[in-house]
Order: sequence, then C-alpha cells, then structure tokens
Amino acid sequence: MYRILIAVCIWLFAHLPFASAQDNCNIIVQCRVVETHNNQPLFPVSVYIDEMKREFETDEDGRFQITNACAGIYHIHFHATGYEHLVKELKIEGNTTLKFSLAHIDKELDEVVVADEHTKTIIQSKSQLRRMDITANSGKTLGDMLQAVNGVSVLSNGATIAKPVIHGLYGNRIIILNNGIRQEDQQWGSEHAPNIDPFLANNITVLKGAAGVRYGTDAIGGVVLVEPAAVRTMQGWGGEVNLAGFSNNRMGVASALLEHGFKYIKGLGIRVQGTLKQGGNYRIPGHWAANTGTRESNYSATLAYKKAHFGAEVFYSHFNTELGVYRGAHTGNEKDLLFAINSDTPTIRAGFTYNIARPMQHIRHDLWKLKLNADNRAGAFSLVYAYQHNFRQEFDVIRGNTDKAQLNLTLNTQTLNLNFDHKAIGHITGQIGIDGIYQENYMQDGDRLFIPNYRSPGVAAYAIERYRWNKLTLEAGLRYDYRHYEVYNPEGNNQAIVRYDFDYSNASGTIGIKHKIKPNWEWTATLANAWRAPQANELFSAGLHHSAARIELGDKNLQPEKAYSLNLETVYNVPDKLHLEASLYTQYINDFIYLSPGADILTIRGYFKSFGYKQTNAWLNGADIAFRYNIVKPLEANLKASFLFARDVTQQDWLILMPADRVSAGIKYTFNISKSLKDVFVGVDGRYIFNQWRIPANFDAIDNPRPPAAYTVLDAQCGVTIYVNGQPLYTSITIMNALNQQYRDYMDAFRYFINQPGTNVVVRFRVPFNFYGLKSKN
Amino acid sequence: MKNNIIRLTALTAFAAISFTACKKDKVTTPEPVEQELITTVRLKVTKLDDMSIKTFTYKVENGFGSTRQGTVTIDSVKLAANKEYSVEVELLNEKETPAEDVTKEVKEESNEHLFVYQSSPTTGNGSIGFGMGNKDGNGNPFNQTIRFLTAGAGKGAITVTLKHEPTNKAATTPDATGGETDVEATFPVVLQ
Repeated sequence: MYRILIAVCIWLFAHLPFASAQDNCNIIVQCRVVETHNNQPLFPVSVYIDEMKREFETDEDGRFQITNACAGIYHIHFHATGYEHLVKELKIEGNTTLKFSLAHIDKELDEVVVADEHTKTIIQSKSQLRRMDITANSGKTLGDMLQAVNGVSVLSNGATIAKPVIHGLYGNRIIILNNGIRQEDQQWGSEHAPNIDPFLANNITVLKGAAGVRYGTDAIGGVVLVEPAAVRTMQGWGGEVNLAGFSNNRMGVASALLEHGFKYIKGLGIRVQGTLKQGGNYRIPGHWAANTGTRESNYSATLAYKKAHFGAEVFYSHFNTELGVYRGAHTGNEKDLLFAINSDTPTIRAGFTYNIARPMQHIRHDLWKLKLNADNRAGAFSLVYAYQHNFRQEFDVIRGNTDKAQLNLTLNTQTLNLNFDHKAIGHITGQIGIDGIYQENYMQDGDRLFIPNYRSPGVAAYAIERYRWNKLTLEAGLRYDYRHYEVYNPEGNNQAIVRYDFDYSNASGTIGIKHKIKPNWEWTATLANAWRAPQANELFSAGLHHSAARIELGDKNLQPEKAYSLNLETVYNVPDKLHLEASLYTQYINDFIYLSPGADILTIRGYFKSFGYKQTNAWLNGADIAFRYNIVKPLEANLKASFLFARDVTQQDWLILMPADRVSAGIKYTFNISKSLKDVFVGVDGRYIFNQWRIPANFDAIDNPRPPAAYTVLDAQCGVTIYVNGQPLYTSITIMNALNQQYRDYMDAFRYFINQPGTNVVVRFRVPFNFYGLKSKN
Repeated sequence: MKNNIIRLTALTAFAAISFTACKKDKVTTPEPVEQELITTVRLKVTKLDDMSIKTFTYKVENGFGSTRQGTVTIDSVKLAANKEYSVEVELLNEKETPAEDVTKEVKEESNEHLFVYQSSPTTGNGSIGFGMGNKDGNGNPFNQTIRFLTAGAGKGAITVTLKHEPTNKAATTPDATGGETDVEATFPVVLQ
C-alpha cells in the first residue's frame, strides 16, 4: 500500500518538467466584491463558476482569486444573505483584476444598512483556515487541524484527544464558537477535547489575544470560530462527499453533506450533514498503544429561510464520540506512575484492535440553535438562542462487573444574544447587544466525586463602534458582564451538602486600529482585556487525576483572572509572489490561576502528591511570523515561527506547561498535467519543536521527567484534482511523520509513558456536486 | 419593516421568559459514593504454635479519593521472634455501616488481583520472611492468605500491596507485577 502511494507521488514528480509547458491554463484573476451603494467590501460571499465547477469565498476585504483558469467564457454566480443573486458572464483572456458589486435586495432603500455579518469584522490579530486547508486536513480532530495556524499548538492526551492552545493559553481561557454559539463542553478538563465535528466548518478563524468585548468572559487567550457556509437558498441541489483513510490506526472517516434550495418556497433551504469515524489502536514506532481507539458519529441539520429583510435559521447538531484512553496511563499510585515513566517500553503490551475498553470516555453533545434576523432603515437586528446539552461519561478501570460509568457529568447551557448593528452614521458603524447565559452542571448518584453541582446565570451588555475613514479603521468596544454561581458542595466526613454563592462582575474594553498603508500592506494594533471567573473545578475540585497520579485541590477563595493584551500585527501581500505576516504580542494576566504543589497526602494507596489551585501574576510575551514566497511561480516556499516567553511575575520564574518555541518550513510545487488533471501538487513540510527549557526552578519536585528533547517531524504530500466531464474530484495523499521519528511532546499528557504516533499515510477524496434548478442566465 | 421589528420583539420577549422560566427546578445533589472504596486493611494473624489470633489494623478514615485523609490508625505488628504465623488479609470499607467487606469481591476476582508483601529489612533481625500463599482460580499466586516467618528480635516494617490487573503474577515486587495499586499499607513491625 505504502509503496503504491509513493509510486503515485513519484509519477506525479515525473510529470514535473513538461507539465507547466503543456497547456496555457495559468491565468490568474483577482476579484473583489463590494456593496453597490457604499463600495464597502462584502464577505462572506459565496462564488461559484459553472464551467470550472469551482467555488470560492470572499475574504474580509471582499477579495478572492481564481487561479489556473484557462482562457474562455465563464458564468460566475454570487451569493450573499440579503443581497441579490448575481450571475455574470465573463470573458477571460489573460491575468486581470475585476470588481463586482452586489446590490441589497430591497431596492426601495436608498441607504443600505449592513445586513447580517457581511461587513462585520473585529480588529484583531487573526488567522484563517479556508475551505481548502480544512479539506487538506480532513479526518483530523479540530485541535489537530488548528495546529496549522501559526501561534496555535495543542495540549493533548496521545493522538486522539487534542485541545487547541492559543499563545500558550487553553481550556477555560479560550472560547470556541461553533456556528456562532459559544461551545460549552466542560472545557475545563485537560483531557476534554472540543466536541465539534470539523466537517461542519467551511472556514475556521482563530482570533489571537484577549477578545472579551465581543465574545464575553473567558476569551483571554483567543477565540476559535468554526463557521459553516451559508445555507443554500438558491434552488437546486448541492453537496459534497469526503472520505479519508489513515494507515496508522487503520482509521476510516466518511462525511457527506447535502443541501437543497426549494423551488416553490423561494428563500427556503435545507442542509443535512453527517460524519462517521472509526479508528483502532494507534502505532508508535515499534509498539501498539493499548486502548487508544476512537469512534465518532455526528450529524447536523439546518433549515434556513431568507427574505429581503428577514431571515430565520434553525440548526441542530449531534456529536457522539467514544475514546479509549491509553491503558498504561491509568495508574494506581505514585509508585506505579514512576514505574511506568521509567519503563523504556510501554508497560501494557497490545496488538491492533478496534475495541475500546476501560479506561474510556463517552461524550455526547447536542446543540439547538435558533436565529432570527431582520433589518430596516435603522439597522440590522439579530436574535440567537441556543441550547446545548453535554453529557460526559468516564469509565475507570474498576473491580467488579458493571457497565456503569464512574463519572456522568451533565452540563446544560442556554445562551441568548440580541444584537443590533446600527446603520452607518457618517463613517461610524457599530453594534450593541446583550448576552444571557444559564448553566446547570450536575453529576449522577454514585459518581466518583470530582466537581460539585452548580447553577449559574449570567448577563452582559456590550457596544462596539467602528470608524472607517480612507485607509484607517478605528474600533472601540466596551462590555460589562455579571455572573452568578450557586454551588452545592458535599463537605466534611459525612459529606453534607453546603451551598455557596459567588457573584462576579467585570468590565472589558478593546481599542483597535487598522491602517492600510498600501493596498497590499496593512498593520493592526489591538489593546484589549478579558476576564474569567474561577471555574467550579478550580474552586472545588477534590479528586485524583488517574493519569497524573496526583490529587488536585480547589480553593474557594480564588478571585477572577483579568488579562490585558496588546497585539501588533502587520500583513504584507504581493499576490502570487510573497505573503508576510508578523505579529508581536504581550499579555499580562492578573491573578493567573495555576496548580501549585502542596503537601503529600496519605491514602490507603500510599502517599500522593497534592496540588492546589493558586494565583499569581503572569506575563506572556511572544511573536508569530509566517512567510510565504514563490521562488518561481509554481514553486512556493513557506516558513513559520512561533516564540513564547511565559513568566510568573510574582515568583520571578517561568510558568509550567507552556508550549515550546517552534519553526516550520515547507515547499510545494503546483502544476497542471492536462485539462482533466489539474492543481497537481507535491510538497514536503518539516517542523522543529525546541526543547522547552523555560520551566520553573522547582520543576523536578512537581513534574518528572523534564520536558522532552527537541524534535523534527517531516510530512510529505501530493494531490491532484481530477475532472471527469467537468466534475472535480479532489484527492490527496499525505504521509505524516514520514521518517517514523520517535519523539515526545511536552504538551502531551502521554509523554510520560509513550512516544507520539509513527508514520501515518492518509488518503483523502472530496467530491463536491452542484445542480442548479435553472440554467444560469442573466 | 415594522412587522419584522414587532415579530422580533415578541420573539425576544418569549425567549426571555422561557430563559428565566427554568430557574428554580430542583437540582438533586447526589450522595457521592466512592466506588470500590477501601478504608481499612486488617491482618488476621494466627500463631501456629498455639493457634492464638491477633489482628492488626491499618486504617485511613477517608480511604482514597478524598482530599482529607481523616484519622489514620496504624497498628504496630507485634509478633514473637522466630515463629511461624498464618496470615489472612481483610479489606473493609468502614465508611459504610455496617462495614462493607471488600475482601469478598477481591476473592471473587482473584484472577485479577494479587497481594504482594515486602519486608524491611529484607533479612536479619526485625525482618519477616513470606511463605507460600493461596492461589487464584487459574492456580497462579493470589496471596490473600500467606505464611509469615519471623526472624530474630528487632524492629522493621512490612508493606502489603494489592495489585489490580497485574501483568505478571509470578513477580514478588509491586513494580515487577505491573497493574494498578489498589492498596498500599505499611505497618511498623516489632519482633520480640
């Protein structure tokens, strides 16, 4: 199998010399979409070209680029909520720049207001994974996928559980917005991966740095926006099928999406989507990792109705996963742990299996969302209500015969957002809104006590105003949050329930400035703050971490964490030549909550280390640099680097568990073979992760062993788009860890026990399809 | 236009009501029950000379999993020097009234459990040697009952470890047996 794949890659390489000379389909067309009346860029606008069967989406600047076009006549469709459906006939003869303008559907309005999100943008250092990036990584978990974003790393438990880390912060310090809804899936746990199906996403945006004003409490490290494409309301059928196979854990992933725009009810569209995934034990060089299988079955449905000034959307998604936890990471006491750490080979021998045994996790996440939006002369209103039900079961290794889980945690969250984007007053646009949240967390009778039951309502109000003048955009925002917690904690020897009430409130602010010095060069500066209330686990946790063999103790007197961040970013872009992004950030976190070692506790299993939640002041400084350069046109080289210096200011020491510095470089050659074999690429990527030497002075007393050595991992990929009767089939082969390198990562909780996975060959297929009800004409 | 606003306002009001309506439903706080809790290790020691019985207790009031250990009771194992004893280990959960006998469950799953004994010093005065123990369902060591052979008068300590799902039942140290530690109790020893 492996050999065949390599042979395919070599075959593609063999076509290199004459490939570019073969046909003349290398035309590049730069396009920009603006609003007819005020010339403001429009995004997201979905664009579809009939003859090419290719789809595009505009960026924040209203731009998109058609590459590898052949000379000829094309029909191009533009789609955006609240705007007319535009079809243009285009004659392409050579490289060119084009501008399109879309008019708001309501022709009576002479002054156009911003409808929905089309010109909404928040000034913030950000990176995006586009449709093609997501396709190139399909089948991976959301956390793993996000590693492609500069400045983002992962906190993991082996190869199947990964949490995104933005500028060194993770868990409760970042927010993930799933289809506009703040994901509440017990993200406080370091082994609790985001319960989101990445196949839902059309693009994923990472906002780096504090973004508390728009996104609320907890947005200290940043925000991940997982955004599906707008539902099709144009009549006809569309959809796509994605397939991926992974050699390492013999994992198969299949995902399909189908959408339909109704003929007789104009503006009504429906989309259904589903994903299945099954993988077995994964292989580290030389061994199988016992009980590391994964299973996932997800589905979602969206019903959307759009009229000129009114829109409604109902969305439901279901996420269901079973995850095996490496058997050797479940230890009884400190001695067991030490023995497992010191063992050169895995303490548990295993072969390959798809079976998942204890210890394991089973998680279900349901999301219901209702969105209504309307606009008039005053502006655009939207109302979003969502209900999330998260049910997490953990199955420990136990004595006795039971299929019961030892931990059954339920978290129900209701959120409500009412937002008003007022019409432009001179050069000023802006939004005001209110947010509400109500949460209930509870466990089941007989559960191992971990975090207590609680109820928590919260409200917030915000306003963000933006002044746009020529090449300059200024933005300022304010927000006030109030959050209440009602906690029922079992205490004392008879475990009597004691009720605690906490009230937290705080103001957040943001000031941003964006300056376009030249059309292809802009810089951004953002000064923002965010805060978060201590979470139930930090206040009350009183239990054991099996894999860490340590006891964690909450502290009821913790104060909210407050973060202040300053981000500077510059982006320089020469299309098809070079792209440079550099950002510098500094963040000061007051009352940063962390785990500090305490006294040893004697139990019936011997002594255990205990760790208590403490607070200090932290100061994080870092830089992210990304550089892309086309040496010759089809040959693109890229270089990325991220550095982070995370200090504990109070103790004048480094903070523990912060991602190490990293650099990566890659080279990619893109060419066409024929009209039916296009966008062929071959590439190699390497990443070097430094040894994390910035560790606290008392590291040896609290963690063992020291952070693993620096490592280099090489990935290789090749791919091609095959056109059969004009129908594209995207296919690619990726070889991850091509050299079967043995390495461990500091941010991986299994680094104590086993290496990272070995070579993994991934084959991917993607087939989009699209049938219009009407033949395109205009 | 106006209709849209009215519609939205009505929906907002409705949502706001349903939002606050679900407020005071009863949250039943479950009784936290520690699964498989063990609080006490008891050694029932029979002197083979006269069949006299002594018991020694090692008890951590809150067992395991609680962050406060509660009262810790550890008896010294006071035995006669140079004698042979028959020993039975009992495991209890004294958080329950009456105390729950966990030994029964462990015996039922003897194939998945192993008791390991260590003496410090390993030989010489104050040490205890360990004779043959009982077997599990497959004829492998289980050692829930065992013989103690006391050495000359002196002071030392013994550690009783219960392993769950050991990977090597023939081994005689907790590390070598593999598996997870369910119990680790260290008793001071006085041989007279």
